[in-house]
Amino acid sequence: MRAQPAQKIWRVSMRKAKKYWEITKTYMKTQLVWRADVIFNMIFTITRILFAYLLWGIIFQGKEMVGAFTFHGMLSYYIVSSFLSQLEMSGGISSEIHDRIRNGTFSKYMVIPAGIELYFMAMELGVVLFYLAFDLIAAVVWIFIFRIQFVFAAEWSVVVCAVVMAVLGMVFMVQLNYYLGLLTLKYQGIGTFLMIKNNLVSLIAGSIVPLALFPETVIRIMRLLPFYYVTYLPSMLLTGMCRDEALRGIAVIGCWCVIIQLVIWITQKKYFRTYDGVGI
Amino acid sequence: MNSTIINTDNLVKTYRRYKKQEGIRGSIASLIKRIYEEKTAVDHISLSVQAGEFVGLIGPNGAGKTTLIKMLTGIIAPTAGAVDVMGYYPNDLKNEFKKQYAVVMGQKSQLFFELTVNDTLRLFKEIYEIPEDTFQANKNYFVKLFGVEDLMDVQVRTMSLGERMKMELIVALLHNPRILFLDEPTIGLDVIASKQIRSFLREINEEKGTTILLTSHYIEDIKTLCRRTVVINHGAKIYDGATDELFDRYQRNKKITVTYDSPADHTLRASAHVNLVLNEPYKKVYETPKEHAKYLFAELMEHEPKDIVVEEEEIGIVVERIYHEEGTVCEGAACAEDMEG
Repeated sequence: MRAQPAQKIWRVSMRKAKKYWEITKTYMKTQLVWRADVIFNMIFTITRILFAYLLWGIIFQGKEMVGAFTFHGMLSYYIVSSFLSQLEMSGGISSEIHDRIRNGTFSKYMVIPAGIELYFMAMELGVVLFYLAFDLIAAVVWIFIFRIQFVFAAEWSVVVCAVVMAVLGMVFMVQLNYYLGLLTLKYQGIGTFLMIKNNLVSLIAGSIVPLALFPETVIRIMRLLPFYYVTYLPSMLLTGMCRDEALRGIAVIGCWCVIIQLVIWITQKKYFRTYDGVGI
Repeated sequence: MNSTIINTDNLVKTYRRYKKQEGIRGSIASLIKRIYEEKTAVDHISLSVQAGEFVGLIGPNGAGKTTLIKMLTGIIAPTAGAVDVMGYYPNDLKNEFKKQYAVVMGQKSQLFFELTVNDTLRLFKEIYEIPEDTFQANKNYFVKLFGVEDLMDVQVRTMSLGERMKMELIVALLHNPRILFLDEPTIGLDVIASKQIRSFLREINEEKGTTILLTSHYIEDIKTLCRRTVVINHGAKIYDGATDELFDRYQRNKKITVTYDSPADHTLRASAHVNLVLNEPYKKVYETPKEHAKYLFAELMEHEPKDIVVEEEEIGIVVERIYHEEGTVCEGAACAEDMEG
């Protein structure tokens, strides 16, 4: 008899999981329609690695080390970091919400019996899973072509932490973009918010320059922000450049996920009540 | 047993809109000081709909019809008043509530344009948690009813507007909703597609007992489908009653357009009842009370026209007439008695 509530919860959870998995599958199917997108995404992955190879080749000429990086260590970091940042495609969520609210078609998501935020998460997963395979193939092929001695973390626990952190980082980015999209309900335009976010992300996520090259004080401040844990730290962990921050990193990005979720719940409840949406 | 499925009491929706003087000076001034005006989109509407009814909601553009539907489906929250749809406050946006209704808006789509309808149906099966056997039964029923067997595996973006609307309806009806909200479902459709959609809607209402609330600019939609019509103008309800009575009472004139092969210049025998709206050598447009239309028609036929078209008055004219003639809400038969009294 005791097992009944547990079984019920299990059944409900499975039904929900099935619902969101179907959304994920649907968006994977929509990606498969556009063949040119797939090819160009792979080309961009390749060109990024090519440019990194040329750029860092010049910088490392006559030097063994730059910062704490060897040439191959730097390229390994670059490949992992560009791979992760390529997978981070949540920027489309804020634009989708913004455009739909402005065009009066956001109701598409409001009238179906599915959590709107979870819908976007499932949608993002569908897009990411699709590109994951292609970007991975492109990265591996180029590691062999350039004969890069890929530097990888020696401990499995660090690899697991890096993967968990990368997943939490992507969840955070979906939450952040969802939140920014919701701001359209109040501000009608979110261009400024997106610009600030994009610049912060580019800098703090380490996709412009590895953060290890910044002064320690700057890095200390960045460690408090979630973007540090989106691509930069997982890349550093995966390439064995750092191992001490693994658990603390998961805790910090986890806290950020909880905080932004609370902000989303409050904002969503308030803005869905006050949104007038008349005339569209 | 109370079968009221939708109930609103003094429902109000107001919103603010930004105003600016024209020109660059006005734009600069608006940077410093914004001027807003308050607009009432829905003004104290009380409405009660019984389960199984097919209700038409008509009114000119900006009357508040879509805003009312948005409040009934929870898309927006009312500013004041009470709303109850199937026992829920719609803007709570509860999934249990959303599983019991469907909304189809003519210019908004639930379909995935890159995919086929079968893909979208599969998605909606999971979203609405429809059991496999119900899903298959409903899918087969609607596919057969709409005659779209050949289109189920075709990419949506390649379909015509009429085909897409049929698919929107199938997606909306898949989970057996208790209420179907339709906002301009026939907008932009040709005569044949509109007629088909109307026939499907009638069948769904009669066979499945689905309560339908329909807004439309087309008189034909309302006349052929809705036994009851609610007229809204400037956000307020100005008529709520039988559709037949509404059009008998307020749709008073017919418009007759006549074209000729050679210049025509003739005097009508019963010109007292006829208003000549357009007078060109090859084309004339007359307006006449509907009871006099047959006499005018017969007389015009004597002059051997090239073509002759008889049209009914548009919804906008009917609404304006009610608005100008009635000070308060006109509730069907009660309204008729008041007028006679």
